[in-house]
Amino acid sequence: MPNRLLHRGRMIIANILAIYRRELQSYFTAPFYYVIAGVFWLLSGLFFIVVMTTIIDQVAQQDLLQQQFGSPSQAVDVPKLILESFLGLLGSISQVILPMLSMGLYTEERKRGTLELLATSPITNWSVATGKLLAVLTFYATLLLPLVVYQFVTLQSSTPPLSPWLILAGNGGLLLLAAAILALGMFLSSLTDSTILAAILGFAVLLILWTLDILAKNTGGTLSEVLTYLSPIEHFSTLTRGVFRTSSLVVFGSYIFLGIFLTAQSIDAFRYQRN
Amino acid sequence: MIQVEHLTKVYGTTVALRDVSFTAATGEILGLLGPNGAGKTTTMRILAGYLPATSGTAAIAGHEVHTDPMAVRQRIGYLPEHPPLYTEMTVAGYLHFVARIKGVSAGDRPQRVNYALKSCGLLDCQHTIIRKLSKGYRQRVGIAQAIVHDPPAIILDEPTVGLDPRQIIEVRHLIQTLAGQHTVILSTHILAEVSMTCDRAVIINKGEVAGIGKLDELMQQLSSSYTYDLELVGDRQHIQTLLTQIPQLQSVNWLGTPDQPRQQLHISSPEEIGADLATLLVQNGIQLYEMRRSHANLEDVFLKLTTDDIAPAAAAPTPAEPPIVEDADA
Repeated sequence: MPNRLLHRGRMIIANILAIYRRELQSYFTAPFYYVIAGVFWLLSGLFFIVVMTTIIDQVAQQDLLQQQFGSPSQAVDVPKLILESFLGLLGSISQVILPMLSMGLYTEERKRGTLELLATSPITNWSVATGKLLAVLTFYATLLLPLVVYQFVTLQSSTPPLSPWLILAGNGGLLLLAAAILALGMFLSSLTDSTILAAILGFAVLLILWTLDILAKNTGGTLSEVLTYLSPIEHFSTLTRGVFRTSSLVVFGSYIFLGIFLTAQSIDAFRYQRN
Repeated sequence: MIQVEHLTKVYGTTVALRDVSFTAATGEILGLLGPNGAGKTTTMRILAGYLPATSGTAAIAGHEVHTDPMAVRQRIGYLPEHPPLYTEMTVAGYLHFVARIKGVSAGDRPQRVNYALKSCGLLDCQHTIIRKLSKGYRQRVGIAQAIVHDPPAIILDEPTVGLDPRQIIEVRHLIQTLAGQHTVILSTHILAEVSMTCDRAVIINKGEVAGIGKLDELMQQLSSSYTYDLELVGDRQHIQTLLTQIPQLQSVNWLGTPDQPRQQLHISSPEEIGADLATLLVQNGIQLYEMRRSHANLEDVFLKLTTDDIAPAAAAPTPAEPPIVEDADA
C-alpha cells in the first residue's frame, strides 16, 4: 500500500512538472512576455531611482531645516524607508501586470482545443492547475530577480547596511501576493474562452481587493479587523515593513488554495454544461 | 474492448444521442458513419471521457468512462475534431510532452515518440515548429499524439478531414496498420472511408443508431429494393398482364414508345425476383434480349438511412411506393 501511494505521488509530481515545463517553454517563445518583462523592468527601474532620490532629498532637507532651528534631528532609517516605498510601488505595478499574465492560462487552452487533450489524459485538473500556477509564478519571479539584486546592491551599501532579511521578507511578500492574485486570475481564466474578458475580470477582482483594503483602513471595530485579516494587500504591506506574521502565510496560502481549487472545479463543471 | 450501452445525451432540451448501443472487438476498426450533426462527435467525446452522458454506460477495456475515468484515460488515444496542438512547440517536443502526460516512462519515451513520428510520416519535420506546418501535417501530428503512448483503444474524430487525396490514402493505410493490436473507432461522413478502412460500421442519424454491421451486410439488409432493366420484344399489354402474376413486384416503368420493335422497361421489387421474372417471360414466348439486375449502392443506402426528412423523390433513388403498374407515356 505505501508503495502504491508513493507511486501515485511520484506520478502527480511528474505530471505537474510536465505541465510546468511546457508552460514555461511557451513563455520564453512568446514575444508578448518579453514585452511585459521590458515594460516591468523599465518602470520599476525608473521608480527605484525616483523613490531613492526623492526620499534622500526629503530627508536631507528635513535635516537642514532641523539644524537651522536647532532642534535635535530625528533618526530616520533611510534604506528601510526606500525599500518600503519601492516595494509598495512595485506592488502597484505588479497588480497591473498580473491579470495580463493570468488571463491566457486557460483561455488559450480552450481556444486551441488543447483542453480536450488535457481533459482526456490521465492527469488531474489539480495537477494541471498547480503546474500552470507554478510556471506563471516562476515567470513573475524571473521578473523580480534583477530588482532584488539591485535592491541588495544599493541598500546594503548604506551605513549601517540594511538587514538582508528585510529585503527578502519584502520581496517574498510580493511573491506571495502575486501567487494569490495569479491563482484567482487563473480561476477567472478558466471560466471563459475570451482572453480579454479574463483580463477584465482579473482587474475587477483586484479592484475588489483594493476596496477591501480601503474599507479595512477606514472603518472601525470588528469589521475592520476581519477585513484587515482577509486583505492580501494589507498582509503584503505588513511584510514590506519587515513584520512577519504566521497569519499572513495562512491568508496567502488560503487564497492560492482557493484559486487552484476553484479552477479544478470549474474545468469539470464547464465540461458538464458545455455545448 | 469498447462497449457502449444505451447512451443518451441531452443538451438542454435537444437530444443529441438517443439510446445508442454498439460494441467494438479487440483489434477491430469500427466506423461511426453519419451526416454532420448526427451525434458522432458527442459519442466520441463521451467515449474519451470528455463529456458525461445523460444516461447509459460506455466502457473501454472493462473500465466505465464515468465511474473510472482515469483508467479509461490511460487506455485511450484520442484525436478530437480539431487536433489539440500547442503550436509554439516543435513536433517532437510536443509528442514528448504528450507521452509524458499520458504516463509513458522516461526510458520508453524516445522510442515511442520515434515510432509515432515514423508511422505518421513526420520524421522529416520533427524539429519544425507546429505553427509552420500545413493543415495536413497538423492533422498527422494530431494522429501521432493519439498513438504515441501505444493505447489499446484509439478514438479518431474525422481523421482525414482537411487532407489532400494522397495524404488521405496514407492516413487510411496508417489506420489499417494500427488494427490488430489496437481497437480503432473513427468517425466520418464519407462513405468511401468506411468501406475502405473499417471492418464494421455504425450508422448514426439524428442521434440514433440506424444500422450496425459489416458494410456489405448492412447494404443487403438496408437496400430494400432490387431493380431490373429489361429489353424484350412483345406486346406491352400482354406483358403487363403477365407481370401481375408476380406479387412481389413494386413498380414497372416502360421506356420509349409502345410501337418500338424492342421494348425497354425498368422493374423494381423489394425481393429478388430475377429468376421468376425470366422464367415467366420466356415460358410465355416473350423474346428476352437483356436482363440486368442493379443493386442499390452504398450511397443510396446511406442517403436512404439519413435523409428521410428530404422529399423522397429527390433524395431516395428507390422510393418505397405502393405496388403500381404505370406506363411511362401515360
